Amino acid sequence: MATDLHRRTLAESGALWFVASAVGSVSGGWLTEQVGRSLVNPTPRDFAALLVGFAAILLAGFAAWKLARAGMYSWLLPLAALNLLLLRPGRSGDVATWRLEWAVMGLAWTIAAVLVFALLLRRSDELERRLHLEGAFFGLALGLVAAIVYALFETRLPPLRAQWVAVALLLSWWGGFLECARRYRWRA
Amino acid sequence: MKNRLRVLRAERDWSQADLAEQLSVSRQTVNAIENERYDPSLPLAFAIAKLFHLRIEDVFAPDGEPPPEPPPLPGWQPE
Repeated sequence: MATDLHRRTLAESGALWFVASAVGSVSGGWLTEQVGRSLVNPTPRDFAALLVGFAAILLAGFAAWKLARAGMYSWLLPLAALNLLLLRPGRSGDVATWRLEWAVMGLAWTIAAVLVFALLLRRSDELERRLHLEGAFFGLALGLVAAIVYALFETRLPPLRAQWVAVALLLSWWGGFLECARRYRWRA
Repeated sequence: MKNRLRVLRAERDWSQADLAEQLSVSRQTVNAIENERYDPSLPLAFAIAKLFHLRIEDVFAPDGEPPPEPPPLPGWQPE
């Protein structure tokens, strides 16, 4: 019975869908990239790996959609951070078609993110909005402090990538949201 | 802010999810209000009072004041 309760709590918290989406993103991205980068004379095995990779990416998308549909928007923040880390347009080389493909993909992701955010604001209730507002404020304040600290030690630190900044802001927003949720006992 | 939401809900044998559905908020928000961790907005406070056919001051009371008393039964006269 305790196991059933634990399983139900895990499912209700959205952690399982988050893990499914994260594993799907990482494994799918890795597989398709490996096949795509080494594909000279495709073998049936390459095609199979490519199909598995696409299936994993579809699973990741489905799991993210389940989280959004269940109103568990906070899980989308670490998912977005993870997918931002996986996005490496610089590795595509200076080939016009690849650049165009990355630009189209980037635009698609941006539109999807804006739509999800709009949905989040429209469907969440007043307390959830407040939690996100306080969480985002926390993330912004932390990002500001981190930027000032970086500026102080700029000459001794590696160059900063915009992608890392975006990932750090998303994660600190999520951290702020979780802290506020604990304070308001929102998850109880 | 103090409130009688848990008592009022229990009197009607509603779960937090039932109440949340009627108020169009999440179950977690009902939980936060019941635990007095979150003070609802004025529109939500009015919606809660209306749902229980009470006035706002019969459900909520400011900090530092005694918790709200249940309203007297109809027909009751003070001595």
